[in-house]
Amino acid sequence: MSRDLAERDDGIKRRDFLRVVGVTGAGATLTGCSTSEVEKLLPYVVADEEITPGVATWYTTVCGGCAAECGMWVRTREGRAVKVEGNPDHPVSEGGLCSRGHATLQHLYHPDRFHGPMIREGEVFRQGTWDEAEQLLAARITRARNPQNTTDGGRVMFIGGHMGPSMSRLVDEFVAALEGTRVDHDAISDAPLLEAARIAYGSNSLPRYDIGAARLLLSFGYDFVESGASPVEHGKGLSRMSAVNDETHTKGTFVFLGPRLSVTGLNADEWVPIRPGSEGAVALGMASAIAGPGGGGPYANLLQAYSPAIAAEAADVGVEAIEELARRFASESPSLALGPGSGAHHRNATAANLAVMILNDVAGNVGTTVHYDTAGAGGAAGASNGYAAIDQATTAMASGDVGVAIVHGTNPAYSLPAASGFREAFEQVPFKVAFASAMDETSALADLILPDRHFLESWGDSAPRPGVMAIQQPVMEAVPMFDSKQAGDALLAVSSRLGNDLGAATFYEYLQTQHRDFAGTTGSDFDEAWRQALRNGVVEFAAPASPTPQLRAPQTALTFNPPVLDGSGDLTLLVHPSARFGGGEFSNSPWLQELPDPVSKITWHSWLEMNPHTGEERGIRTGDIVTVESPHGSLDVPVWLYPGIREDAVALAMGGGHTAMGRYADGSGVNALDLLPAVAEQPSGALVTLATTVTVTNTGTGRRLATIEGSSDQHDRPIAPAVQLALLGEAAEEAEEEHGELMELQGVGGFVPVPAEGGAPGAFPLEGARHGEYADAHEGPRWAMAIDLDKCTGCSACVTACQAENNVPWVGEDQVVMGRDMNWIRIERYYEHVDATQAGDLDVRFLPMLCQHCGNAPCEPVCPVFATYHTPEGVNAQIYNRCVGTRYCANNCPYKVRVFNWYRYTDAVPEPLNWQWNPDVTVRDNGVMEKCSFCMQRIRDAENRAALEEGRPVRDGEVVPACEQSCPAEAIVFGNIRDPNARVTQVVASERTYRVLDELINTQPAVNYLKKVTFHEVVSEAH
Amino acid sequence: MNKNWLIGSLATVLALAGLAFVQGGGAEGGEAEAAVVQPIAFPHNLHAGSGEEQANMNCQFCHFSAERSVDAGIPPVSSCWGCHQVVQGRNNPGEVAKIQGYMERGESIPWVRLYKISDHAHFPHMRHINAGLECQQCHGEIQEVGAEGIQTRGGLAGALFGTDPGVHENGPVWRGDAMGWCIDCHRQPNEAGQQQASTDCAVCHY
Amino acid sequence: MANGVTKDATARGAMTHPDLHRLDDVNRDVLKMMGPPGKGWWALLGLAATGIGVFLVAWLGVQVPVGIGVSGLNGPVGWGVYITTFVFWVGIAHSGTLISAILFLFRAPWRQSIYRAAEAMTVFAVMTAGLFPLIHVGRLWHAYWLVPYPNARFLWPNFKSPLIWDVFAVTTYFTVSATFFFLGCIPDIAAARDRATGLRKKFYQVIALGWQGSDSQWHHFGKAYIFLAALATPLVLSVHSVVSWDFAMSIVPGWHTTIFAPYFVAGAIYSGVAMVITLVVPMRKIFGLEAYLTTKHFDAMAKLCLLTSMIVLYAYLSEFFLAWYSGEEVERTAFWNRLFGNYWWATWIMLVCNGMVPVMLWFKRVRHSIPALFVISIFVNIGMWFERYVIVVTSLHHEYEPFAWGMYRPSVVEMCILLGSFCWFGFWFLLFTRLLPPIAIQELKEVMPPPMRNKASGAHS
Repeated sequence: MSRDLAERDDGIKRRDFLRVVGVTGAGATLTGCSTSEVEKLLPYVVADEEITPGVATWYTTVCGGCAAECGMWVRTREGRAVKVEGNPDHPVSEGGLCSRGHATLQHLYHPDRFHGPMIREGEVFRQGTWDEAEQLLAARITRARNPQNTTDGGRVMFIGGHMGPSMSRLVDEFVAALEGTRVDHDAISDAPLLEAARIAYGSNSLPRYDIGAARLLLSFGYDFVESGASPVEHGKGLSRMSAVNDETHTKGTFVFLGPRLSVTGLNADEWVPIRPGSEGAVALGMASAIAGPGGGGPYANLLQAYSPAIAAEAADVGVEAIEELARRFASESPSLALGPGSGAHHRNATAANLAVMILNDVAGNVGTTVHYDTAGAGGAAGASNGYAAIDQATTAMASGDVGVAIVHGTNPAYSLPAASGFREAFEQVPFKVAFASAMDETSALADLILPDRHFLESWGDSAPRPGVMAIQQPVMEAVPMFDSKQAGDALLAVSSRLGNDLGAATFYEYLQTQHRDFAGTTGSDFDEAWRQALRNGVVEFAAPASPTPQLRAPQTALTFNPPVLDGSGDLTLLVHPSARFGGGEFSNSPWLQELPDPVSKITWHSWLEMNPHTGEERGIRTGDIVTVESPHGSLDVPVWLYPGIREDAVALAMGGGHTAMGRYADGSGVNALDLLPAVAEQPSGALVTLATTVTVTNTGTGRRLATIEGSSDQHDRPIAPAVQLALLGEAAEEAEEEHGELMELQGVGGFVPVPAEGGAPGAFPLEGARHGEYADAHEGPRWAMAIDLDKCTGCSACVTACQAENNVPWVGEDQVVMGRDMNWIRIERYYEHVDATQAGDLDVRFLPMLCQHCGNAPCEPVCPVFATYHTPEGVNAQIYNRCVGTRYCANNCPYKVRVFNWYRYTDAVPEPLNWQWNPDVTVRDNGVMEKCSFCMQRIRDAENRAALEEGRPVRDGEVVPACEQSCPAEAIVFGNIRDPNARVTQVVASERTYRVLDELINTQPAVNYLKKVTFHEVVSEAH
Repeated sequence: MNKNWLIGSLATVLALAGLAFVQGGGAEGGEAEAAVVQPIAFPHNLHAGSGEEQANMNCQFCHFSAERSVDAGIPPVSSCWGCHQVVQGRNNPGEVAKIQGYMERGESIPWVRLYKISDHAHFPHMRHINAGLECQQCHGEIQEVGAEGIQTRGGLAGALFGTDPGVHENGPVWRGDAMGWCIDCHRQPNEAGQQQASTDCAVCHY
Repeated sequence: MANGVTKDATARGAMTHPDLHRLDDVNRDVLKMMGPPGKGWWALLGLAATGIGVFLVAWLGVQVPVGIGVSGLNGPVGWGVYITTFVFWVGIAHSGTLISAILFLFRAPWRQSIYRAAEAMTVFAVMTAGLFPLIHVGRLWHAYWLVPYPNARFLWPNFKSPLIWDVFAVTTYFTVSATFFFLGCIPDIAAARDRATGLRKKFYQVIALGWQGSDSQWHHFGKAYIFLAALATPLVLSVHSVVSWDFAMSIVPGWHTTIFAPYFVAGAIYSGVAMVITLVVPMRKIFGLEAYLTTKHFDAMAKLCLLTSMIVLYAYLSEFFLAWYSGEEVERTAFWNRLFGNYWWATWIMLVCNGMVPVMLWFKRVRHSIPALFVISIFVNIGMWFERYVIVVTSLHHEYEPFAWGMYRPSVVEMCILLGSFCWFGFWFLLFTRLLPPIAIQELKEVMPPPMRNKASGAHS
């Protein structure tokens, strides 16, 4: 869809949206008689040529959510950011955006943000002015660095999280000028991978994977779809490599080796449930099988030592399975193996990563599917650092030689195990400063809090990979009620107070000086280049070519055996990053809290994953609250029985159990780190997450889980069928027969026959489909959607995107427990074949279920007041203001996609969180039914724009629903199915096309699904 | 005796039906403010009127986005100030001077909103302008309304007694958002004889 | 001895009113009931009034302002206790019309002494049922949109929707049964008027519509009555058929079946008759109407119960059979789930109360034992409520989409409203027993032996 991307070539003094909030109130409420109070119209004082009231303005920027640094498009209305989307021009994310990316918008308007600098006075904080705060900080730094000062003197220490290159450099300069030290700490660290790359290839940055190019993909427990270095990019890669090619009928194979199936794992074609910590051994075993005697270069001797047999023994799987896998890994090149992720950081994690690199090397994948940047420093991801550094910092703080500690963009007080002693050490520091936009566990300990800006309000840059640079621009003026200041500006101000000139007054200037020479431009045309950079949202230039590196011998001796685990418990504890909260930095977003976990479908609270057999032995059922006890701590948490985890392991996700983060995070769930020791893996220094065994005892109490999952068994219903790859060609004939039967069947039933697999462009409007009141009189478009289940990874980005676009409220944990979740999209997850006891085929089906906009919609005839009916464009419309709330439509909806406003949920949305509301979408009132509208507001917007251009028809691809826009897997296509050239029509023409439950109840949905393609024979009755 | 009963009840029924008909049935009435006091006594007639000593300006000179946006747009203070730096205003300099006040304080003028459609109905101005409608079609002979402004008789009263709740004889044909009023217009046949605009619910309600 | 009693009872059972001799006894006995109420009555009325208070607070005080979320309803289960209770009361309403209209047309003599109470019950039951659609909707303040009225927006209700049919069916039924009820009362009201004094007399004068008992009035009365009876009769069948279509017209497995209309009508009469027994037994005791409500009546009602219970049981069984026979996986799961799923207890309560308990009615001894009938009728009432609960809830909570299956737990508010509805019903019924002759005097007289000049022969024993 065409959008006028506005660039901004200076700071944003001009834009203050508050004055126009009155024009289109923050979302519209449905309460009929709202006319009694006098409403004010508030015009701008000075008009902004970029802003037309009622017309969206788009800006490009960079997502500050994580180190992946995806490109972003931000939709602003009246100077107010209302929606973030992926930037299709950005080479990393290519238009996709994950749930966490969408949710960053809530942190921008979060009511828990600081209203100004906070200065500690005894136990409480007092709100101060920036001048006061900066003065105070400068004074304390001078005092601390005064050699005579023996009481509270000491050096300056800067503890930073992920930040862009320029900010990073500024911090270095700032710290250097004060002869201080800087440590970086990320809740989730890639240190072992980085270290292994250093050892193996002398590379200073994380390896880059070309997942899309692989034919056989191995993941050694690496959850690259939901966490990992770049979720959107890698998720896209997975869907590209594993999705079937409908011409050639070929598709890549994805094998997952690990003790627990994450979302990534659930997408695998095969699962080898290896013992926790045995990744290294297995990788070496395969490598030695591939390399053969004497193979493996500098690691030949090592490979000799690790025969497949030994690997099999270590991994607790059949040796033939490993040999077979090794054979295929070598033959089906290019193949690709991905190292153990942060969920498997055990005491030999670096070795394990190294082993996987060796495997890739012997299989000849280096340079084809995996790349190591040996020339120059890598991307910003390279800066991420492990536990060792922060451990030293802790010792330093504890020993009292730190006078001033400055924390920025990280929350070690939460993301380190209690045993690390960080909290105590930090408290001992005489003066503690936190740059944070909202309270968190670390800021709560600080003496001075400098409210940082949200990335949508501030300047910055990113270098996600060599050859790619993107500027992060403010898309709006800072939210006025929060007196915030970008950390960069604050640092510059303070250092100038200290008399150190860092060469710029504002971070904006500093940033520009950093980029004076990018893309080889020089002063004169810099402004134009800069403008271009902002307009496109990314700059690509020739990266320094790095030659295919050679494998090096290790300097240090590494052990590749499975690690020794603490304790004598009978179950291994797996602590993994949460698909929703990452390491816990996203926990205060109600959208993410209410987003059903892609694996467990549980919202809000924490749960312990346990294999059903293990549960059976111990008499533990789903919902029982158990005590999990490790040598380092113990937790009470409800159990969720999950066939996708080994019987000798249990799993807990990170991100729960916050104590001082805000209203939505605090008290929700438990912090898994409480069970972990504070041990740094050697040599990388990463915090070990796979370190201990636990004992699980039933407390005898239980609870109802806040889950949206009813049954994960399809009950042989035609809901999420699959087709075997080998049968793809023949599926057509099969369809014919089915169709025949169906005709008979329907003949008996007496209703009109429907093409069973009727994807053919000519098949629309469907034969005999009743199109509401409008019959066939209508000539206009007929909107339809296609969802390719072979691409869908179940990552759930669409769910949050939809929630953001359509003002879908969150309802809270207790309401979800009651079964009242409001999301318009429900990603259903059906188990077909999941077996944790042996290596073999895996078949789990993801199905994004949204309103099917049926041609014969069961909901329409039963509505007594025509609140739901069929539009001429084939959309099943829901007219909120006509709805009386009999809920008959929801009862009669076989797909159960209609959600009801049981309360006035939107009343619970505090200022200014409601500023995010989409002004083009009605905010629904108490007692009203709602559901997916195919983003009607976007259809109307496209029509309006088309009408302004001599009333031309809406072009294909001009209407992009929020879910399609954000889908990293490119699984969703929307368009006018009456147009034979439309993408959707082309896609639907596939032989894999089917419609959920259609052959059962003749609903004739406008949403067409493409069957998942499996390698094994499809056993389920639901063909 | 029996007859009277019959007639009486019939009359009642008809009366009720009639009331329901004009009232539009919906719970949504129109504006209900009586005499509206605007921060500045703004005379539409002096600006947009075509009479003696009237500026005869185009509506969209001030309501700048009506042609290309769903919102008609309220003129920024700067654009008022643009002219009134020079135009002191014969009739009421005091009011004109207020503009300068707002300009200098950097405040925006808190106009009281009269024409408001319920939040669950979407009214794209540009579609109507580009369809060739005059502003007056909905807003009445607004260019003849003086500084005294418009008094709306809203809600049931407005709907019941005459199509024109405006007290000013040239006041707006405004009917709050009694939906029947929109429908009437959408139903009008065009040259081809079909109705000129869609009456599909989802055209305005989404 | 016991044997003797039985024999005696049987013999008496053959006669309608073995213990009534003189016509003026009837006026005396019946109108005595309308005398000044005792403490017990006031206590009951007070209880009912309190119940109504709770009912109103729960509904208008809590649910409407706060939101329908105070109920236990949720995603898959959008209908629950409210709709269950609605159907329950509509069902109760049925036997009234059946007894008064149909049995009148069929000239069944035993109806005379119970039909007034039955009709009253009908009217009040419909009044109760009519509230539940209002209680149930999410936006009460817009509920009037279900009524077709001309408006400038050219918006009409959707006549395809069974809910609209409901609106018509229930309102029609209420109008007709209320009229029928009132018409039947007129002569007796006149009788009451003639005895009453003061304010009561004024009241009766008004509502007696100037009844003089003249020949022409009796003539017109008879005509009107039989016409209305004829008009009411089809309604007995239509109303509950329409209510059943609320379910049958949907595609929900467990609802979408052709058997529903007859099945619901039978069930309605079943529950209605049971409710009549439940109400009449205490009335009989309190007002000492043993002479008017004899075993004969109860025996007849018991037989009606027995018949309808067998029809209902047949419907249950055929539903299960057809679910299996259809071979349709969804149907099979739905009905298997009824018997052995999360709501198995509700289903078994239904089967036991409606299918098994009434089997006892095969035995004359049971049919002739008032206490036994009373207990059984209570069972049947419970069973019939649960029948509706099973149909509504178990069908909804496991539908087509397994991933969206869910559970429903009624909330406190729903319980308050459920109990409140009984108080509301009881309130009106209590007033009725005092303000109108609960037994049809004039019809009773019709079936009594004409007065004899010779006293001796008048008292045949």
